[in-house]
Amino acid sequence: MARRNLRPSAGFELWWWYFMRVSGLLLVVLALGHLCITHILNNVENINYAFVANRWTNPKTGVIWRLWDLCLINLAVLHGFNGLRQILAEWIESPSRRKLASTLLWIACISLIGAGSYSILNFQKDEKYLREFYDANPELRAENQDLYPVHSAPIVVER
Amino acid sequence: MSTSIRQPHVYRPGLWRRLADGLGSGYGIGQWSWLLHRVTGMGILLFLVIHIIDTFFVVAYPGLYDDTVGIYGGRLSWITGSDGKPLYVPALRWAFRLSEFGLIACVVFHAINGVRVALVDLWAEGATYQKAMFRIVGVVFLLIMLVTSYFVFVPLLKSPEFWNFPGTH
Repeated sequence: MARRNLRPSAGFELWWWYFMRVSGLLLVVLALGHLCITHILNNVENINYAFVANRWTNPKTGVIWRLWDLCLINLAVLHGFNGLRQILAEWIESPSRRKLASTLLWIACISLIGAGSYSILNFQKDEKYLREFYDANPELRAENQDLYPVHSAPIVVER
Repeated sequence: MSTSIRQPHVYRPGLWRRLADGLGSGYGIGQWSWLLHRVTGMGILLFLVIHIIDTFFVVAYPGLYDDTVGIYGGRLSWITGSDGKPLYVPALRWAFRLSEFGLIACVVFHAINGVRVALVDLWAEGATYQKAMFRIVGVVFLLIMLVTSYFVFVPLLKSPEFWNFPGTH
């Protein structure tokens, strides 16, 4: 019976009003899941290139993690920048400056979504770097034996 | 229990006046929810921008990525310490742990309070129970952070595991 009447009536702002709520609820799962993996289940100090490479290129679960991170990055950036746009709309009173601020924010938003999605979709394991890494840290190779067999012949890097 | 609805307050435009109006005139717990939701949201966005840039190194420069995330553990790859290994600065490690805890606190609060905001907006009875729901948000937040603090701070008692990164140098 007591209903807040803050919902925009129509158009662009109404679309964003719904987006903030739907993306917010999805991000509860996506972002808290991501934090749980990187800060609770793993020690954040132990996260390195090999960790990310193994997670994204795992033959069974790699696709799932890439999709997870892709959804997370797109929704989080849009949610965050739209939130900032709404905050700045309260802060900046001049309509022309508000327009300028929104434009700059959307440019930053699209660049970050582009860079982030590029990182996730275009990632390919740097075999040479990983081999050097596991050669320098043999005890870690044992933990990733299925991906980097200990007894495999050394790869000769052609120059 | 009465269900009378207070008329919405008309706020003056501008962030600082909006803040003073909201927090100063006894509009209560919902205003604190509003303020904390914004502050945590802006903090998360700042970290998100940094995090997207550092993850870009994963594709472009694996060595630079390892050296960069190594700073989280207080390890400065490009400076050689007196023992001939990369310089280890324990204070940096503690500072990053504290920031990490702050970041998790921001995300957890923003997430739980965001569910409350969505309930207030999308559930017909939401606004009636907004104050009770904010107290629930506080309790759930404290419980989650209590558990989290164990996982974040206990690893500090052990010395960090440093690997030999092939590196960029």
